[in-house]
Amino acid sequence: MRRPGAWLLGGVGIVLTTVLFVVPFLFIFLQAGKTAEEARLLEFSWPSEWAIVENVRAVFEARDYMLVIAFINSTILTVASVSVLVVLGSMVAFVLQRRRSRLNPVVDFLILSGLIIPPAVVPTIWVLQGMGLFRTMLGLVLVEVAFGMAFVVLLIRAFVSTIPRDLDEAAIIDGAGPVRLFFRVILPLLKSVIVTVVVVQSVAVFNDFANPLYFLPGDENATVQLTLYNFQSQYSTQYNLLFTNILLITIPPLVMFLFFNKRIVAGMTAGAVKG
Amino acid sequence: MHTTPPARRLRAVALLAVGGLALTACSAGSLGSSGDDSGDGVTLSMLIDNSEQSMVPMQGVIDAFHAEHPDITVEMETRPQGSEGDNVLKTRLATGDMTDLFQYNSGSLLQALDPAGNLVPLTDEPWIDSVDDAFLQAVQSGDDYYGAPQNQASAGGVLYNTQVYADLGLEVPLTWDEFMANNEAIKAAGIAPVIQSYQDTWTSQLFVLADFHNVLTQNPDWAEEYTANEAKYVDEPAFAGFRHLQEVADAGYLNSDFASIKMEAALDQVATGAGAHYPMLTFAIGPMVAANPEAAEDVGFFAMPGEDAGGNGLTVWPTGGIYIPKSTEGEELEAARTFLEFLVSPEGCDAQTAAMPPSGPYQVEGCTVPDDLPAAVEDMTAYFEEGNTSPALEFLSPVKGPALEQIMVEVGSGIRPAAEAAALYDEDVKKQAQQLGLEGW
Repeated sequence: MRRPGAWLLGGVGIVLTTVLFVVPFLFIFLQAGKTAEEARLLEFSWPSEWAIVENVRAVFEARDYMLVIAFINSTILTVASVSVLVVLGSMVAFVLQRRRSRLNPVVDFLILSGLIIPPAVVPTIWVLQGMGLFRTMLGLVLVEVAFGMAFVVLLIRAFVSTIPRDLDEAAIIDGAGPVRLFFRVILPLLKSVIVTVVVVQSVAVFNDFANPLYFLPGDENATVQLTLYNFQSQYSTQYNLLFTNILLITIPPLVMFLFFNKRIVAGMTAGAVKG
Repeated sequence: MHTTPPARRLRAVALLAVGGLALTACSAGSLGSSGDDSGDGVTLSMLIDNSEQSMVPMQGVIDAFHAEHPDITVEMETRPQGSEGDNVLKTRLATGDMTDLFQYNSGSLLQALDPAGNLVPLTDEPWIDSVDDAFLQAVQSGDDYYGAPQNQASAGGVLYNTQVYADLGLEVPLTWDEFMANNEAIKAAGIAPVIQSYQDTWTSQLFVLADFHNVLTQNPDWAEEYTANEAKYVDEPAFAGFRHLQEVADAGYLNSDFASIKMEAALDQVATGAGAHYPMLTFAIGPMVAANPEAAEDVGFFAMPGEDAGGNGLTVWPTGGIYIPKSTEGEELEAARTFLEFLVSPEGCDAQTAAMPPSGPYQVEGCTVPDDLPAAVEDMTAYFEEGNTSPALEFLSPVKGPALEQIMVEVGSGIRPAAEAAALYDEDVKKQAQQLGLEGW
């Protein structure tokens, strides 16, 4: 037997999804297909002639193929920062959760302050300059890692607390050292929460605008978000190219979501069971 | 159990972490042609905002300059406009990481960069005498001048559709009363008399900012009194700007979609005759004509009308400046000076004109503009030729509050009466004046 309410609920869900996610995406796609004259009206309408190929070409060619460089930069930045974040973050979370000591409150406070205290730009640049890391990709990766660390540690730590201690003890009795215990027993169990971390942090780093703008200046260092400004300025905006650019740089996160769809959902719910 | 051998898994994780860091050593570098042909000469970097009006003419100058000085290469780097761009610029100045040359506003925004502390004075440059005094005032700090004019002066006033004026037999208004009478006639003909575009909030400020020439005609010392905390926006003559917007809004003269459209749509309306007047800066003429070729003929420009016809004149925004930061030294400094000398010369102006039609007169002696400019630019140039111009307030006083655009949107939307809005704005500027450490606040 079917309850009549289920139909209604499902229908509302579908309508809401359409309005919130499909319509904006469709709008971007339609604008990206229009000519400059049509796009500047910003109407939700079918393009009278499709110019998407020309637009894509123009976007790629703009400013000496800046978008290609930006894609390479963004990929390096995202992969590097997220790898370091995951490995380092889960190690910190494991130690913090398992080994209680008098240092714990201090470390907790530091991690929380990482979430609460907003980073200041100029002193950060001084520090980077002092270490010779300013204007380098490594410097920016470290900045992204530092800004993402607090969140990652908190998330993974909550998850580690759901792993029974008996597993650790069994492994230790079998002769596992701390390193082997972490990599062979704990890390595989963290898989679902790590997928969550990878997705959330990849999107955050990939979409980051302010940090690359300040910490890695220069056209040859641009990331994809910065290329949006190629087509947008105070007195004139080329909407067709702007939306084509948005479309192009939305694709990587979208593909990633399609790939990891199942795991993301599993990871989200797994992390949400216990706080 | 399907497990990988421990050593291999450990190695994989370690590889991931180390590989991640190693990846960062790569840099995409440059794919295109830029920077390949520099040879062994000097390479100058220049930070410039990302608007077409800045980039295209400057690229023209750079190309012409390179043809004359093959040993000096200038590379443009771009930054966003608005507050993001200000932050980038100030951060790079503060950390000594500025490019060899950079472009920025003149006037009060320049003063906020502390020119004497951060910039190389250009007072003794050979070209300084050929530059218009109005511009030099805007880049002066103490006894020294710090900037070279970037491109052309612009102005704030009203863009109007000449076709509508011709059809209804109207004349360009010289006073506010004539302007309101024209609006009445235009409304009767079923056309929106005054266009506003509040999705771009900054466009709301024109009624106040472009009215400044009228303030100065009634009180030539208003700017000094304002800086000294003696003159206020709640009092006439400056209050007129706020009052005018409320009068226009109360009379129902605004376009029906004033709250939701952007500047591009507003420019379309005035170009096609759907609306008659659009208070705007002349920067917008170029993009408007590019989008609506017929606007070159059909859109004219007049100064914001004031109380009496005799004082009618234009409020002018001198062009932005090109500056050399103190971090530029040695042969780069010499090359930067050579570049500025070229920029501020008739050849430099001609190179800009060739790259993009000018949107106003150059502020350099000996520079001319071509004849086939849009009607609105010619209308504007006429005011310069007659000498009926005053600089905008931001070039005479460092005091400008951050919330004027939001306050004006409230006035135009009928949310806040003009008198209250002016009082609120006076309160808004107080914080900024105190931050600057001005006397009397």
